[in-house]
Amino acid sequence: MAGNNRHIILRWFVIGLFALLGLRLFHIQIIDRSYQRAAENNVLRYEVQHPPRGEIYDRNGDFLAQSVASYDLMVVPRNIPREEGFDTVALARIAGVAPEQLTQSLQAAKNYSHSRASVVVRQLSTEAKLLFDEGNFDGFYTLFRTQRSYPRKIAGNLLGYIGQVNDKIIERNPYYSRGDYIGYSGIESAYEELLRGEKGEKVSIVDVRGTIKGPYQEGHYDKPALSGTPITTTIDAPLQELAEELMQGKVGSVIALEPSTGEILVMVSSPTYDPDELMGRDRGNNYVKMLNNPRQPLFNRAVMSSYPPGSTFKLVNALIGLEEGVVTPARRYPCEGGYHVGRGVKCHDHRSPLNLKDAVSNSCNAYFCYVFRDILDNPTRGGIMKGGYDNWEKYVRSFGFGQKLGSDFASERGGFVPTADFYNDYYPKWNSLTVISMAIGQGELGCSPLQMANLAAIIANRGYYYIPHVVKHIEGRDSLDNRFYERHYTMVSEKHFEPVIDGMWGTVHREIGTAGVAYVKGLDICGKTGTAQNPHGKDHSTFLAFAPKDNPQIAISVYVENGGFGSSVAAPIASLLIEKYLTGEVARPELVKYIKNMDIAYPNYSNKK
Amino acid sequence: MKGNDKLGWAKIDWKTILVFVVLVFIGWLNIYAAVYNEALAGGFSLSSKYGMQLIWIGISTIAALVILLIDDIYYHQLAYPAYAVMLIVLLLTLVVGHKVNGARSWLVVGPISIQPAEFMKVATALSLARFMSEYNFSLSKPRGVVGVGVILFIPIAIILLQNDMGSALVYCSFLLMLFREGLNPWVYYALFLVVGLFVGSFILSPTALLIGLVVLFVVSQFFSNRNPKESVTFVASVGLVSLVLYGLSWLGQWGLNYYHSLLAASLIMLVPALIYAYREKLSTIYLYATMFGSSLLFLGAVDYVFNDVLQLHQQKRILDLLGIESDLKGWGYNVHQSKIAIGSGGFWGKGFLDGTQTKYDFIPEQSTDFIFCTVGEEWGFVGSVVVLALFATLIIRLMKMGERQQEPFRRVYCYGVAGIFLFHTIINIGMTIGLMPVIGIPLPMFSYGGSSLLAFTILFFIAVRLDSQNSSIGSTYKFY
Repeated sequence: MAGNNRHIILRWFVIGLFALLGLRLFHIQIIDRSYQRAAENNVLRYEVQHPPRGEIYDRNGDFLAQSVASYDLMVVPRNIPREEGFDTVALARIAGVAPEQLTQSLQAAKNYSHSRASVVVRQLSTEAKLLFDEGNFDGFYTLFRTQRSYPRKIAGNLLGYIGQVNDKIIERNPYYSRGDYIGYSGIESAYEELLRGEKGEKVSIVDVRGTIKGPYQEGHYDKPALSGTPITTTIDAPLQELAEELMQGKVGSVIALEPSTGEILVMVSSPTYDPDELMGRDRGNNYVKMLNNPRQPLFNRAVMSSYPPGSTFKLVNALIGLEEGVVTPARRYPCEGGYHVGRGVKCHDHRSPLNLKDAVSNSCNAYFCYVFRDILDNPTRGGIMKGGYDNWEKYVRSFGFGQKLGSDFASERGGFVPTADFYNDYYPKWNSLTVISMAIGQGELGCSPLQMANLAAIIANRGYYYIPHVVKHIEGRDSLDNRFYERHYTMVSEKHFEPVIDGMWGTVHREIGTAGVAYVKGLDICGKTGTAQNPHGKDHSTFLAFAPKDNPQIAISVYVENGGFGSSVAAPIASLLIEKYLTGEVARPELVKYIKNMDIAYPNYSNKK
Repeated sequence: MKGNDKLGWAKIDWKTILVFVVLVFIGWLNIYAAVYNEALAGGFSLSSKYGMQLIWIGISTIAALVILLIDDIYYHQLAYPAYAVMLIVLLLTLVVGHKVNGARSWLVVGPISIQPAEFMKVATALSLARFMSEYNFSLSKPRGVVGVGVILFIPIAIILLQNDMGSALVYCSFLLMLFREGLNPWVYYALFLVVGLFVGSFILSPTALLIGLVVLFVVSQFFSNRNPKESVTFVASVGLVSLVLYGLSWLGQWGLNYYHSLLAASLIMLVPALIYAYREKLSTIYLYATMFGSSLLFLGAVDYVFNDVLQLHQQKRILDLLGIESDLKGWGYNVHQSKIAIGSGGFWGKGFLDGTQTKYDFIPEQSTDFIFCTVGEEWGFVGSVVVLALFATLIIRLMKMGERQQEPFRRVYCYGVAGIFLFHTIINIGMTIGLMPVIGIPLPMFSYGGSSLLAFTILFFIAVRLDSQNSSIGSTYKFY
């Protein structure tokens, strides 16, 4: 019976079978690495660690924006117990949302991915998070985030707002992923890369139910989140607060600078909003409300709007005239109710003739028409067409008009200074009379409030400016961007500023001046009113000032849309702010009250669309 | 020395025992790793799975010693009584047993649960050995085959009634021993053919399967007859006719695809082949032609039953068993996770107690049916191959042990044991790496469970005991 070779066949059969197993093992353990990845996907959970966003302080170290703890409720749908499910009502109550809403976002999470985490409810408070932890909801967990809080509730447009990144941003910038926040405007946007910090990552081991069992490799692959860098702004919070108070009910802008540095002390775009409204659960609703508000609170007028500068621009023409030698401080021009050449320009009733200083104080239209035409038609420059106009334009641009100043606001716009070609396109033939409106800051000229405040700073500095900026100090850095330390000189030399400044002093201090209302004893405020005609209704009220006359501490521009005369709204506001800044208090509470309660009609901003 | 050997231990095969003991030890380490939990790592607990398994290892050690002390004559004498008693216990289990995973296969006695089917294997192996060593027994006689069939069939039937498919299939393992004892090879050819066709019908295209069949039988005929000319002629003419048919079909727009053409061609060419066989008196051609026809019928039947008789969930289960359709959440989940665990072990493995997949419960049944995952993940390819090699060594040594026996009783028993170990090992490990269908049977000495460890110990040590008392050449046989 044993006399056969079957036992040998069997032995090879056994060896063959084991070899088969060995080959298969060789394949799945050594050749095919996909099992390695699958195993990691099974047990490793990569959790993003969101750093707290950097705080924003005012120039005195008070909080403008803070980061407070907040938690996002996350879910990995796969890990919800299949049979028992979870108590929807209880979880909804803890999260503070309607059960239907919870069910809905859970469905959305499932549609996105069964095995990857999605946010179900955003921004749970710490109390809600603690309640959740007691509840033991399998499949859900909370993720630490921070939320912005704005304790002073001021400077909405200045600070800007943050929001979740959209798909476009994610595509452009690999740093961001779904659900991240990014600054969309103001400082939040300008200093996004500093404020956001650096996201970290925590690699944990999870079991089959998704319960975290501990760090992977003792945290060797973890990357801690780096907190955002705190930023100290140049803003003077109490002053900003007063400015916003004074601007309430009005549309327009206030900007105050420190002339010696270009630091922005105040930046108001009115109407403003409480930045907290753009945080938290109601953000969506509030945002839509703001978008639909015809007065456009989200539009940062301070850097984005383009207003006719009005009479404040006469200062520029006066300075150019002096530098070009077409006018001297002593030169007088008559004014018989206006400038009566060509279409003519009207003027208010005042004594005549006036010298340059008085013309500035009194804001005589005719005087600056003479000066402006002499600049353009100056024969030594070859007349208006041969370079006279271009020469004037060059002067104007040296004051920072017609281009972005290069501040730290990404949304800054440059206003408009027409070129000769601009007129060539419009008129087959034109001359200095065609553009005469620009003599008094009307016509095609457009300036942002920031540029006007910058003009005040230039005059205060007698001829130069620093690029206005809102950041004073970045933690861990010795200095700011170099461009903020560079003096930008105008084409007008220092000596020509004195007569103009004398005129501005007169505006406030002399009987002939247009803004006696701005006078504050001992502060030596120098100013210039503007009453800008515009096609949209009542004149805009504007005022440009600095103080004190010698060694100026503050330069300011106030622009109130449809506010009427420069002296009626803008000048008192500027005066009050200067007073507050230089003396630390306001001694004229009635004026504050009067300005606050002033009622200005804005027919253009009614809900007609 | 010989005179002192009262116990008859002088000829014990210590080397094979060593292999067995090493496997038990490695198996226990892996159970420890599979249930190891850092949170509970504080103390060694006898109530944990590894503690319980240690107790069972102790019990098995005592059993092994007792077995080695009993004279081999008793195994021969007790074979039938043990078989009868175990049948009664099996029947009892059918009535009062506990249901686990749908199978009523557990008997609970006080604090311990035992699985009688595990011990039935021992009784069956002994009974087969005794029956097949009887005087005048021959596997070429119908009486012999029927007797073996009956001894196998009764336990299989009862275990199937318990709804324990896996334990019933284990009885296929005696086919190894039966082959050694001279069962007609055609049984095996037919078996391989049926299994091959069944699996093939799911994983191969009909055309490939048909070409495979034609080639298989033509090659077989060539080996039977050693005449290359006739084989080549047949293959060439089938190919030619099929192409002609296909071409005609294309011209005449009959709508025959190549499979149909080939099927028709091979059937048509059977006619001249049979005429040739009649003339040349080549009986093997009839045989292969019949097998070819039966295979086609079988394929048709599989097709019909699968598509028209079975319900959707049954179809899915078969496909999953064959590893064709992977529902990763349902049936395929276990195997998928098991492959991930083993595959992620890489070359050197993740290290003892450092397997993430097993530690964090991704593998179901990780201390029982899927214990090999722990080996694969923590010890890598190196460790897996070592374990495979140990099992192969054990089985081959058992077969060699059988081969050196003078008496059929000892040989048949050793081969029976080798077959059982082989079947369990190949099916279990094959299952964890997706090579074999998911049949829930334990990996010998590795899977957690007292019944299976004790049963394998008894099986193995009886073989060792029989071998140690193997009569020398020329001496009188004990077992006739």
